[in-house]
Amino acid sequence: MKNKYIFGGVIIAVFLVLMGYLFTQSNIEYADDFAKVMTTQKTVKATGSWVKEKNYQVDNKNKTFSFFISDENGKEMKVIYEGTIPNNFESATSVVVTGKYQNGYFHAKDILTKCPSKYEEQKTSSSSL
Amino acid sequence: MVGSIILTLALALSIISMIMYFLNYRGYKNTLNYGRIAYHGMAMLVIIASVFLWYVILTHQYQYNYVYSYSNNALRNLGLLHLASSFWGGQEGSFMLWLLLTAIVGIILQSYASKRGDLEPRVMAVFALATSFLLIMVSPWFKNPFEYIWATPVFVKIEHINSQFFNLPFLQSFFFSDQSTNQGFIQINADLVSKLSQAGISLNQFITDGRGLNPQLLNFWMQIHPPMLFAGFAMATVPFAFAIAALMKNDYRDWVKQAFPWMLAGMGILGLGIMLGGYWAYEMLGWGGYWAWDPVENSSLIPWLVGVAGIHTLLVQKRSQKQGGIGKYAKTNLFLCILTFVLVLYSTFLTRSGVLGDASVHSFVDPGMIIYLFLVLFIATFLLLGLGMIIFRWKTLNENIVEEESILSRELALFTSMIVLIASAIIILVGTSAPIFGQSVDTIFYNEMHLPLAIIIMFLNGLSLLIKWGKTDTSELIKQSIISTVGAVLFTLILILFVGVSDLMIILLSLTTAFSLFVNLDIAIKIVRGNFKMLGAYVAHVGIALFILGVIGSAVYSEEVTVDLVKGKQASAFGYDLTFTEIYPIENNTKFAFNVDVKKGNSEYKVTPIMYRSDFNNSIVREPAILTLLTKDIYFSPLGYDEGGQTQNQHSHNHISLKKGDTTSFGGARITFIRFNMAAETMQLMSEGKDFQMGAVIEIEKDGKKIETELLRKQTDGKVEFTSFESKELNLKIGLENLSAGVIDIAFSTLDGTESQSPAVKTESNEVLSVTASIKPFVNLVWAGVAIMVVGFFVSMVRRLKESMIIS
Repeated sequence: MKNKYIFGGVIIAVFLVLMGYLFTQSNIEYADDFAKVMTTQKTVKATGSWVKEKNYQVDNKNKTFSFFISDENGKEMKVIYEGTIPNNFESATSVVVTGKYQNGYFHAKDILTKCPSKYEEQKTSSSSL
Repeated sequence: MVGSIILTLALALSIISMIMYFLNYRGYKNTLNYGRIAYHGMAMLVIIASVFLWYVILTHQYQYNYVYSYSNNALRNLGLLHLASSFWGGQEGSFMLWLLLTAIVGIILQSYASKRGDLEPRVMAVFALATSFLLIMVSPWFKNPFEYIWATPVFVKIEHINSQFFNLPFLQSFFFSDQSTNQGFIQINADLVSKLSQAGISLNQFITDGRGLNPQLLNFWMQIHPPMLFAGFAMATVPFAFAIAALMKNDYRDWVKQAFPWMLAGMGILGLGIMLGGYWAYEMLGWGGYWAWDPVENSSLIPWLVGVAGIHTLLVQKRSQKQGGIGKYAKTNLFLCILTFVLVLYSTFLTRSGVLGDASVHSFVDPGMIIYLFLVLFIATFLLLGLGMIIFRWKTLNENIVEEESILSRELALFTSMIVLIASAIIILVGTSAPIFGQSVDTIFYNEMHLPLAIIIMFLNGLSLLIKWGKTDTSELIKQSIISTVGAVLFTLILILFVGVSDLMIILLSLTTAFSLFVNLDIAIKIVRGNFKMLGAYVAHVGIALFILGVIGSAVYSEEVTVDLVKGKQASAFGYDLTFTEIYPIENNTKFAFNVDVKKGNSEYKVTPIMYRSDFNNSIVREPAILTLLTKDIYFSPLGYDEGGQTQNQHSHNHISLKKGDTTSFGGARITFIRFNMAAETMQLMSEGKDFQMGAVIEIEKDGKKIETELLRKQTDGKVEFTSFESKELNLKIGLENLSAGVIDIAFSTLDGTESQSPAVKTESNEVLSVTASIKPFVNLVWAGVAIMVVGFFVSMVRRLKESMIIS
């Protein structure tokens, strides 16, 4: 029985330690207060709503896509994403962007759009899974 | 109504079946038949309810909320299969699918258990507990697919209402319009329904179309992925039932071989289901990958890993029973079989309760607090039942301590494999659950953690088959492994020297994967002539090794480049010549296909990525095109298409959306969108699908002069046309690009090609298709590997099924 516990124990212990370390390294927190987003150096997931009035810009030359989002307090920030416009961006109201705030812009690595609609409570169909 | 009654009756029968089976287990002889009849009755009702759900979908009965929300008339034109897959397009239906498959699995299980001693009452009592919970889930109090549309007032788009009833006087008080989108709605509630029925109108006549499905779900792989996945979920219930049944009887010998074939088949199907989802993402979503460590993907992988871990230790226990007693790892196996099902439930909780709302690309509907609590209760019940039983029987379970394994024994190697698979499951579980606590992890977390794990798994994958049960002679081991080891080292050297693999971890992973591959191939070839049905494990392990090689190739050595393809002009990427030849409409002008010729040497291929604007979510959908070659895929993901004007310049990209009253400026002119111009009968025409036009009045002001003009959206025979405004004097062209509720999209350009704001970029041709092209080396091995692995699972299952017949 001893070998079993040595093997099992060592592997689990090593991976728990590794996991704990990597978790703190790759941990990204959600942030819905842009004042904080703008001051932190860390990568965060900023959640806010897309400022439709300011539209979005597609820069074909630099292959970037930019738009404004605002938080609950109405604070706005410009987001630049290196890539193309996400598939259902136009219908998005709520946006989650992952990245860092630098030089006056939020540089997003990833954009996630949510499309709630006040008249269609269940409009966003869940994919079957 | 009919559907809800059937489901409620089924729930009652399920509970009766559970009680009758339980009483039989407690010694009441005559209740066994009642339990069987009740179970089969329940299963029949569930099948009838499912057929009924298909029937109401196929006959477009939009008085059901589910049918209205997840299907529409247009789906029928795409094929009956597309329409039929609305069944699992939403939450209620996918619970229904899960229930249906579980009920069917239960019929097979009942027949299986009845032939194996006194197994049936215990197993079926536990199984009926699971079906009861699933039936509560789809019952009229929770996620009922047969809920009428007025049960919770729903806003139905005016286009979906039969226009011949527009003149009903009472309709006014149910009409709403959204100011910001200019969209009209009719609120369907109980009040309206009673007024309609007084007027002799049925709701089915009143609502003529539904919302439809997300176009990204309209894909063959999406039609078979959910049934496959839920079949795996349903089958995960069986080992759980066997484990609890063993704990009830306090006998831990027979359940192992009885549960074994079920575990193999269940994990085979679940694994296939997970991979089909990955293939769908690869083929449909256009980001070029098959696995994104998305919570939804992860949550179904966790039970699979735990189940596969369980298969390895179940094998040890079964084998060690030859020496008498209950065998090694009895507690571990009970725990893993229980955990597999509990994690299936946890997976449902993560994806259905709304806790991961912000964390996944899959859209989640927040189902409300009651569902959340019910799911928690569901998990807690099965987890506590399982753990409680193990603790209750702890003393007997510990009486059977067997002697220690030697270091070089297959027992210990398999145990270690189980531990490593569990470590992988824990990592994914922690990462996926993190959003519940407001945290999240980057995908680096999963990738970095799995690299060392995969190296160990692959090493064990080879080693455990070389070493023997009990004890292994070291010199014999070396002799046996020498060919595979040399082969693996050579293979890795080739990768380093000729392919240029330089990352240490990747080198190690390639080495152990090749080792595993050669060991398993070697043994498989040796025994293939002897006994075909013994091949299962080797086939499955060859499959997983090929899969890992495919992952290394396609994930680590994938290259990507963005190219602008000017129509008729050759461009090149990865040594291939690409020419964008034409654009043409497909599927009744709803989509656009882009023909690209791909050439290298004498080989010529054609790919057609697709782009279209979807009415479902009013967004542009881009479908990639994949050129599958023997050793790699070339993946073309469309980014955008520019028709150009007479002159192509930077400013033709100057698109803007304006709301009523908005002002913008271009080349010194101020442009204001004043109002929509829509005739009173337009809405009527629109909903009837007749020709109509809508206008947007804009005002242009430059150098003190004001011009008012109207841009039109004309619809004739289903074709949409937009007009534009040109003025030589102002050197300005304004084209309407889209007119949707509340907003107009317009494009500006100068007429003479001069640029007023940014320098002109003149190109000779007009039409430009931008694509991201990427190369995915050996991605075929990913699919082939999984397919081979699944075949291995089933070959093993056939063998273990025979063994399960023997009652000791």
